[in-house]
Amino acid sequence: MIKITNLEKFYRTEEVETIALNKLTMEVNTGEFVAIMGPSGCGKSTLLNILGMLDDPDEGSYVFNGIEVAHFNERKRADLRKHNIGFVFQSFNLIDELTVFENVELPLIYTGVTAAERVKRVEEVLDKMQIMHRRNHYPQQLSGGQQQRVAIARAVVNKPKLILADEPTGNLDSSNGNDVMELLTDLNEQGTTIIMVTHSEHDARYSHRIIRLLDGQTVMENIMV
Amino acid sequence: MFKNYIKTAVRSLYKNKGFTAINILGLALGLATCLLIVFYVVDELSYDRYNTKANRIYRVNEDLKLGENNVQYAVAMPPLAKTLKVEYPYIEDATRIKNAGTTHVKKGNINIVENRVGFVDASIFNVFTLPMISGEPKTALLEPNTVVLTESTAKKYFNTTDAVGKTIVFNEKENFKVTGVIKDVPKQSHFNFDFFVSLESFPDSRSNEWLRSDYNTYVLLKDAKDHTKLEASFPAFLQKFSGSQMQSELGMSISQFEKSGSHFRLNLTALTDIHLKSNRSGELGPNSTTQYVYIFSAIALFILLIACVNFMNLSTARSSNRAREVGVRKVLGSSRKYLILQFLAESILVTFVATVIAMIAAAAVLPLFNQLSGKEIVLTVESLKWLVPSLLFIILVIGSLAGSYPAFFLSAFQPIDVLKGKLSAGFKGGDLRSFLVVFQFFVSILLIIGTLVIYNQLNYIQTKNLGYNRNQVLVVQNSSELKDQAKVFKQELAELPGVKSATMTGFLPTNGWRNTRIYFKDASFDQKKSLFPQSWEVDADYIPTMDMKMAAGRNFSKEMMTDSSAVILNEAAAKFLGFSDPINKTIYQSSGGDRKGSAPNVKECHIIGVVKNFHFNSLREKIEPVVMTLGQNSGALGIRVSTTNITALMGQIKDKWNSLSPGVQINYSFMDQDFDASYRTEQRIGTIFVIFTSLAIIIACLGLFGLAAYAAEQRTKEIGIRKVLGADVSVIVGMLSKDFIKLVCIAIVLASPIAWYGMNKWLQDFAYRITIQWWVIAVAGAGALVIAFVTISFQSVKAALANPVDSLKNE
Repeated sequence: MIKITNLEKFYRTEEVETIALNKLTMEVNTGEFVAIMGPSGCGKSTLLNILGMLDDPDEGSYVFNGIEVAHFNERKRADLRKHNIGFVFQSFNLIDELTVFENVELPLIYTGVTAAERVKRVEEVLDKMQIMHRRNHYPQQLSGGQQQRVAIARAVVNKPKLILADEPTGNLDSSNGNDVMELLTDLNEQGTTIIMVTHSEHDARYSHRIIRLLDGQTVMENIMV
Repeated sequence: MFKNYIKTAVRSLYKNKGFTAINILGLALGLATCLLIVFYVVDELSYDRYNTKANRIYRVNEDLKLGENNVQYAVAMPPLAKTLKVEYPYIEDATRIKNAGTTHVKKGNINIVENRVGFVDASIFNVFTLPMISGEPKTALLEPNTVVLTESTAKKYFNTTDAVGKTIVFNEKENFKVTGVIKDVPKQSHFNFDFFVSLESFPDSRSNEWLRSDYNTYVLLKDAKDHTKLEASFPAFLQKFSGSQMQSELGMSISQFEKSGSHFRLNLTALTDIHLKSNRSGELGPNSTTQYVYIFSAIALFILLIACVNFMNLSTARSSNRAREVGVRKVLGSSRKYLILQFLAESILVTFVATVIAMIAAAAVLPLFNQLSGKEIVLTVESLKWLVPSLLFIILVIGSLAGSYPAFFLSAFQPIDVLKGKLSAGFKGGDLRSFLVVFQFFVSILLIIGTLVIYNQLNYIQTKNLGYNRNQVLVVQNSSELKDQAKVFKQELAELPGVKSATMTGFLPTNGWRNTRIYFKDASFDQKKSLFPQSWEVDADYIPTMDMKMAAGRNFSKEMMTDSSAVILNEAAAKFLGFSDPINKTIYQSSGGDRKGSAPNVKECHIIGVVKNFHFNSLREKIEPVVMTLGQNSGALGIRVSTTNITALMGQIKDKWNSLSPGVQINYSFMDQDFDASYRTEQRIGTIFVIFTSLAIIIACLGLFGLAAYAAEQRTKEIGIRKVLGADVSVIVGMLSKDFIKLVCIAIVLASPIAWYGMNKWLQDFAYRITIQWWVIAVAGAGALVIAFVTISFQSVKAALANPVDSLKNE
C-alpha cells in the first residue's frame, strides 16, 4: 500500500540545517498494523506527516496505492487524503464549537456525502464506539478517553484505507489507553491498515511490526508474533 | 457545507462573547454614526431639488461696488423679472419673491405673529413645484389682495384645507381672499413660506426703478445650457435698461461708473446652489455652506474607517485562536477555497448583524439628532430605496475586507504546523495591526484637536467684548404696532422702577434691521471718496442703553435741535473716511430724487461723535462702517433692566402694552438670547462635532480594548513565567502597555501638524478669531495617551494580577 524510497526531509533555520529523515526506505502492506518508535527528535512525527500527506518530502519517492504522491500539490493531496486516510492525534484535535455528532460528520461533508447518508453513517460509527449517548455534547464536556473515541470515530467514519495515529494514548490514563488500543486493533482486524507512532512499548505490542527510528533512519524492525 | 460554516461561526462568536460584543457593537456604533451623518449630508444636498425644473431655474443676483464698498445682493431690481421675460425668448418664465417679514394674521379676536409670509408673482407656481390642492395655479395670484396658503396654515386658520374663497386679515385691516391651498413647502427649500401673497396687491411691485434691489428674482430657462449665454448678455442689458436712470441719479453713464472703479452687475446662481453656496445680502433665509458638508462627510468617512479598522483588527487577532480549527479542517479534507469562503461568510454575517443594529439605532436616535442639528429628517420608503442597496454594498465591502485577512492568511497555513501549536507564538500579524492602531489614533487626535479649536472659537465669540452689553436687555420686537403710541409706551416704560433706560429703533445690534446709504467725503460726490456704510436711525438713548462707549465727541442730545442733521460714526467709518480728528467735520449725502442736472441735491451731515466699534454682524465678518442719525424709527424697543425680578417687570410691561394695543400680542425677546440665536448654526455644528468626536474616540478605544485583551491573552504564559521569576505587577503592566503607547505616540506626531494646519484654515473664515495655542495640541495628545493607557490597563492589570500557576498549568 505504501512504499517510500530514500525519503529525505530537512528543517532549515537561518544557521542550522537539521535532517529529520535521512534516506529512509520502508514499505507497509495493506492490512498491516505498524508501530513506529524511537526517541524524541528521531523523525517519527515527520514521517507520519509525510505519510499523511500533510507535509512534502524534500527528496525521494512516496508511492501510495501505486500513485507517486511525493510532489502532489496541496489540492491533490487534500483530495487523496480525504478519501483514503484517517487521523488520530495525541491531543484529539476536535473542534470545540462543534458537537460530537458534528465533529464526526465533518469528513463526510468534505467528501460530499448527502445529509441523510451522513446521519446514518455517523450514528453507526458512534454506536460502534459506544458514545452514541454523548452525540449532542461538546468536546469540553467529555473525558479524555471519550474525546479520543470521538476522534477515532471521526477518523474512521469515511471508511479510510489507512489510519495514521500519532501517540493516540499519550494523553490518556492506562485504562482509557487500553480501550483505544482495543478499538484500533478491532479496526485493523476489519481490514484497515494502521500506522501508529508511539513511545509506549505496551501499545506497540498491539501491532504486527515495530519500526524503530533513530536520527531519521530505520535502525531495527521487529516482527511481532 | 455552508450550514456547517455558519454553525461554527455562530458558536465561535458565542463562545467569545466579549470579543463578539466589542466587535459587533463597535462596528454598529460606527455605522450608526455614519448613517446619521449621511442623512444630514443627503438632506443638505437635497435642497430645492424637489422642484421638477430645478436644473433650469436660476436666481438673478446683483453685485454692487461703490468706491471701496462691495456688496453682493441676492435680490435684484423690481422691473427685472418682467423685462427679462420680454427680452429673452429662451427664458420660459420669470418670477419674484419678497420676504414680507413679521406680519399679524387675525384668527378670531387675536392676532397671531407670522414670520413666514412672502409676496410673490403669480408665475411662482409655474417656476417652482408647489402642488396646489385646491384652486387654480395659473390664475390664483393674478388679482390683487389674493393669497395662497399652505395646507397646514389653512388647517390652522380654517380647520380645513378647503379654504378657497375664505378671507385672511393681515395686520388688522388688510383683507385678502384665499385663492388656493398648496401642499406645505418642503423643509429642504431655500424659502419657507406659509402665506404666498400676490405681489399685484402692492404698487411697488410695478415700480420701474433700476437702481434699487429688493426682489429675489428667478428665471426659468427653456434650456439649462442657456445660462452662460444669459449671463454674458447682462452688461448690455443693464446698459439698455438702467443706463438712463443712472445718468439722472448719479450724473454719469454706466461706463463712466465702471471706469471710476465701481461696478453694477448682474449674475446667476443655480437654484440648487443657493442653499450651500450662496451667502449674499437679502437671502430668503439662512443658508448653509458646503464647508460643513465636506467636514461632516470627512468625519463620517473617518468614523467608518475607524470602525472597520477595529473590526479587522479584532477579527484577525481572534482568528489566530482559530488556527487549530483551520488545521483540523484541512486534515479532514477541506480545501483552501472552502476555508476562505468560510471566513468571508463569517465576517459578512457579523457585518450584517452590526448593520442591522446600526440601522435600528440610527432610526431610534434620529429625533434626538434632529433636535441637535435643527433638521427635520424623516426616513421614508423613498430613502430606503437608496439606503438598503448601499447598506448591502457596505456589508459586502466591509465584511469582505475584514474577513479577507484571516481568510487568506490562515487558510494558507500548513495544517501540521498549526496543530503542533508552532504558530500561536509567532503569529501576531503585528505590522498590519500596528499600522491600523496608529491610523485610528491619528484620526481620533485630528478630531480631538478639531473639537478643541471649534470649542475655543465658539467660547471666544460668546465671551468676546462686543462693544455693547447684551445682558439684561429686553427687546420688544413689534413696537411699531403701537404706531403713534410707541413713544408713549417708551416713556412709560422708562419710568418703571427696574428699567434703567429704553431706546426705540429697529437698528439694534442683534436685530435684522439694516440699511445702507451713500455718503461722500466732499460735496463733489467723488466716487473714490464715497462711503457706503450702514446708516442707522437711532434715538438719543441708544448709546447709553446699549452700553456703548464713545471714542470721541458726544452722544446725540434731545436738547440740541441741530442734532437732527448730526451723525455719529463708529470707529470703522471714521477710519475709512481718514479724518485725523473727525469731530465737527462734515460729510455729504445725496438726497436722491428728481433732479435732471449734473449735481444732485446735497445734504450736509455734521459729525458730533465717534462711538467705539461694536459687533453687529457675525464674527466671521469685519466690523462694517456705521453712520448713526437721529430719527424716529420705532421698529423695536430695547429696554435695559436692572432688576432680578424679571417676571414682575414683564407683567408691568405687558399691562402697559395691552392698555395701548389690546388687539395685538406683545412680541419680545432677550438680547443675549437673540445673540446666541445668531450663532446657533455654529453652536449646533460644535455640539455635533463634540458628539461625533466622542463616538469616534469610544470606537477607537473599543478596538484598543479588544486588542489589549488579545495581546494579554497571547502572552499569558510569558506573563506567568515572568511572575514566577519575580516580576512586579507594575513591570508587567508597563510591558503590556508599552507597545500600544508607542503606537499612540506615533499617531500624535503624525496628526498634530495636520490638525493644526486644517483648523487654522477653518479659522480663516472668522475675521475675529483665536490663535491655536500649543497647549491644544498638548491636551489632545495627552488626552489620547491617557485614554489609551486607561483602556489598556483594564486588560493588562487583569493579566498581571492573574495567578501564574493557572497560566502555566494549561500548557
